[in-house]
Amino acid sequence: MVNVTIDDKQVTAPKTATIYEAAKLNGIKIPILCHDKKLKPFGACRMCLVEVEQMKGRQIPACTTPVTEGMIIRTSTPDIIKARKMVLELLLLNHPLDCPVCDKSGDCDLQNLTYEYKVNTNRFKDEKFHHSIDYNNPLIERDMNRCVLCGKCARICDEIVSFGALTFIDRGIETKIGCEFDDALNCEFCGSCVSVCPVGALLARPFKHKARFWALTKHTSVCGYCGTGCNLTLGVKDNKVLTTIYDENQGFHKGQLCVRGRFGYQFINSAQRLTSPLVRKNGKLMETSWDEALELVAGRLKTGTSVAALATPRLTNEELALFKTLLLENVGTKNFDHSAGFAHSALTEGFTRSFGESASSASILDIQKSDMLLVIKTDAYETHPVVGFEVNMAVKNKGVKLSIISDKRGKLSKLPDATTLVHRPGCEVAVLNAIAKTIIDEKLSVDTAMTVPGYAEIVTALSEFSAEAVAAQSGLTAADIKKLASEYATAEKALIVFPVGQGYAGHNADLASAAANLALLTGKYGKEGCGVLCLSEKNNSQGAVDMGFYAQDGGLNSLQILDACVSGAVKTLFIAGEDPLTSYPDRTKVKAALDAVEFLVVSELFLTETAAMADVVLPACSFAEKEGTFTSTDRRVQFIKPAIRKNAQTKTDFEIFSDLITRLGGQSVATPAEKFTEIAAHTPGYAGLSHITLRKEGAFATAATKPAFVVPNSTPSPAIENGKLALVTGSVLYHNGTLSQYGEGPMHVCPEGYLELSRMDASVYKIADNDLLTVSSAAGSMQLKAKVSSRMPAGVVFAPYHFSSAPINSIWTGSPVTMVTVAK
Amino acid sequence: MNPITPIINGMKITFKHMFMKPVTLQYPTERPKVSQRFRGLHGLKVSHSKAKCVACYLCPTVCPAKCITVEAAEDANHDKYAAVYEIDMLRCIFCGYCVEACPVDALKMTGEFELANYHRQDFIYSKERLLEK
Repeated sequence: MVNVTIDDKQVTAPKTATIYEAAKLNGIKIPILCHDKKLKPFGACRMCLVEVEQMKGRQIPACTTPVTEGMIIRTSTPDIIKARKMVLELLLLNHPLDCPVCDKSGDCDLQNLTYEYKVNTNRFKDEKFHHSIDYNNPLIERDMNRCVLCGKCARICDEIVSFGALTFIDRGIETKIGCEFDDALNCEFCGSCVSVCPVGALLARPFKHKARFWALTKHTSVCGYCGTGCNLTLGVKDNKVLTTIYDENQGFHKGQLCVRGRFGYQFINSAQRLTSPLVRKNGKLMETSWDEALELVAGRLKTGTSVAALATPRLTNEELALFKTLLLENVGTKNFDHSAGFAHSALTEGFTRSFGESASSASILDIQKSDMLLVIKTDAYETHPVVGFEVNMAVKNKGVKLSIISDKRGKLSKLPDATTLVHRPGCEVAVLNAIAKTIIDEKLSVDTAMTVPGYAEIVTALSEFSAEAVAAQSGLTAADIKKLASEYATAEKALIVFPVGQGYAGHNADLASAAANLALLTGKYGKEGCGVLCLSEKNNSQGAVDMGFYAQDGGLNSLQILDACVSGAVKTLFIAGEDPLTSYPDRTKVKAALDAVEFLVVSELFLTETAAMADVVLPACSFAEKEGTFTSTDRRVQFIKPAIRKNAQTKTDFEIFSDLITRLGGQSVATPAEKFTEIAAHTPGYAGLSHITLRKEGAFATAATKPAFVVPNSTPSPAIENGKLALVTGSVLYHNGTLSQYGEGPMHVCPEGYLELSRMDASVYKIADNDLLTVSSAAGSMQLKAKVSSRMPAGVVFAPYHFSSAPINSIWTGSPVTMVTVAK
Repeated sequence: MNPITPIINGMKITFKHMFMKPVTLQYPTERPKVSQRFRGLHGLKVSHSKAKCVACYLCPTVCPAKCITVEAAEDANHDKYAAVYEIDMLRCIFCGYCVEACPVDALKMTGEFELANYHRQDFIYSKERLLEK
């Protein structure tokens, strides 16, 4: 800490702070345009000029000058105010004063400073800019005439997003922010540049002209897409969510969002939302009253054991716990599950066996504190973009080493000094086993590893996974595997990250155990910057596991439930929010099961394909309309409250389940807060949490570790067949699950399914971008558009699973790798 | 005082007024001439054959009676215009703040004061009715 005097006030500040940070820390405001606390100091705008006595009254920028002991700083002498006024005059010289039509008005730093410094006239004269405005993409509008050249957009795109779409082009008075070759913007559309723009040069088009900033009510919430648990501020007007608002103080990610979080909110107020309960009469779904619909459902639920349920992990903890109570106590069935059964098995089976707890042994915050990151599949960026930003910052700012084991290259592979081992699809577990074997063989393991139960078994079980043998099988070289093993073992702190999800059948309990074995062998767990982080797919996937909403004690899991529907053992199926017809493997089987089941109840936001097959459809509520808690992938429990009033004809799932409990003769808790008190009392790690404590900010549920080595089963990847390509499924950056299909933003950039294939395969099959391909597997065939990319290795094709218009599960039956033929 | 005196004084005034110009108007055959700055019905000014209004929402923001509804939209040239511009004359207090707030001089208050109507709905003036003819 150093002692400085700012405006005659004695204050202390950390040694690394700049004058600007020191002043801010002590409640002294210095005006600024070009600074964001996430970015490196830049010093472009000259608004933050201050005087330092030791520097002989020279005016120096506060945002780039570090504090030193005994500095005497003045932030607002008449000279400084005069200089700042001049800066504003010069900026306003070229800035078009079109505030009435600019959506930034009201939230504009330049506008606010102009008011604050009373710049009413301009001593200078110059022409305004005449740059053409970029309307070429549906999400971000670039009007460079309004730009003040603070460079924040270019810097955030480089430093955090690591895309580098924007930069300064041309020089002198002609300088502007532009894309490559001064072309139209074509990037991953995370909107980070829009969020930091101090003026209206970059604007979100979905919000264009929708409302003025001051008319919006701001509601903090938690994003309803992936498991990262990003905090959101929703801008609400007339009971409609119109936009997301940037708040640099929000969450661990400091307001950073991805394309889904920032532009995917439209599903909340979609005109397609269900607004009335539907009951099937004479083969057609007819509108009905809640009373009739719930009475019908309650009557069927009385049949007891022949009832089964599937729930989406997008429900709140309270809803999942209440649903479980309804099923176990009031209905009397153990058959319930979520996420197709396999998407949570890494946690519920893998980590439970390896760490004694169904949760990751690291948090997202560990990424930047680590020395080495081992990422399994480059898709970790696509599934959890904001976690990807953390990886970007760790690698670029903190010098963290990044190694990736993946079946394809990806954005993470492009980071500086990242090594990507591209193996044949389906070999992840074998490669991890080979690394473990190398660590044991080369005596790189820590001594404490031998005391962990199961050590002897793992040593024998790994004998067949020599680096050479696995290299031959996986298409890697033994040297690469050994190098990675020694790097991982010798790094002081190392963290393993892997995504799971309904598109990643191979990321199961075995993969989790194989990854955990590495951490256990080298003692890299339970410490800062170490551990294994499983990125769960949906916003409350970890919560669903914590609430125990999965098959246990002999209950049927998702896929067994579907089988039981066909065999007739399950007669009533209650689906809360899942869309198995699109997202579960093997569409034919799912369809047969839903056809066969006698009575299907679906509570949903939209009339999905699954809901369209139901006997009763109950209109439910989105995250913006309910109260409860979500648990993020690293077990951060966060509270959400309604941002808008729900439609009077819809009910939250909590209300639906609680009503059903009453109808079945039970007694339900009245509010989510009461249910959470029960949860906190019974769920390990949740003790001491309550809605009141979580209201202000989320808290981590603690996890106790009880390590054990587990032998992971390594299923050999399917043999390469001549003329066939290996299909791997997964998530695409713009989507998460099937919900994002109803968000306009994601659908603008990625409206349909596709088949991504390598340039080599494209030239062999003479395929060009957007060619319509017939893709066939043993299970069936379907048509997909081609997307030729440089990241796919030859012989491997990738397809995202989110789209009900192109359901990949018509050719994919749940195996990690599917052999397909492709024809034009 | 002579009790007749007040009556005479009073009648004097009465008779004087019989020969003066009447102050009342024979409305509706005779109509008042309103002053330049009279605050009557609003009018949306037109320039280049379209409304000058750019839908900046300053008038609904400043309106103390909350009687103005604006909904902005983007036209074919990506310009902002008011797709909906409504004033509820039953709520309006004719304070003229909206005219004062308008940054593009798109709004005025006319001398039109005959705003009576039969239905509540008819008091909500749409953009079409407000545009100056």
